[in-house]
Amino acid sequence: MAADEEIEIPRDLWEDFEAARRRPLATRIRYSFIKTYKPVLDDAPFRAFDTMEEYRRWCEENLPEWLGYGRV
Amino acid sequence: MGAFEYRQAEDIRDAFVRHGVRYLFTGMSGALMHGFAEALPAVEVFAEPCPANGRAIVQALSELGFALSEGEAEAIVRGKDFVRLRNGPFDVDLVFAPDGIETFAEAWGRHVEVEGFPVCHLDDIIASKEATRRRKDEESLPRLRAFREYLRRRP
Repeated sequence: MAADEEIEIPRDLWEDFEAARRRPLATRIRYSFIKTYKPVLDDAPFRAFDTMEEYRRWCEENLPEWLGYGRV
Repeated sequence: MGAFEYRQAEDIRDAFVRHGVRYLFTGMSGALMHGFAEALPAVEVFAEPCPANGRAIVQALSELGFALSEGEAEAIVRGKDFVRLRNGPFDVDLVFAPDGIETFAEAWGRHVEVEGFPVCHLDDIIASKEATRRRKDEESLPRLRAFREYLRRRP
């Protein structure tokens, strides 16, 4: 989608954006960072991949599909 | 280890400044800095891929309390495209070559500062998510694009 393409914003979504932007950054951080265990992905303290393609492939081959890391 | 806090964002910023790290907040953590609110699990940092910057990152992360082995530090210095750290006081993803962004220099040229935090331009964050073609990104993109439009239109 082109960056300059006009998008319809439903009123409730606009209000959500307004409310979020009114909150201080510290509050947004407190509300947004949620620690949840992700199987396989969180089972190692450190992972490194030579390329993004290698990382994406590893995710597709090793993670449960429901985590959403697979490509569409 | 609990969820990430504002104080820790300040800790990253201050440690990275002390060690001269060239980086930008990106991904959903970058979008959050712009004002976008959505649940996210980890801080995502786009760092310039060069050995000097990698060494500076290792020093800064060690100072912040990340337990890096020699091999892990070497992976960061070498600038592997993607490094996922879960061995410190909070979770960090280091991205040296994000999808959809050509070079760090270009992203730096477009970046914005939010409360002293260097952040990727929202266009770059969206372009990167579009380029991944991951299901979870495809699901969040319509809302993220609407947020960009909101920022353009708001009085």
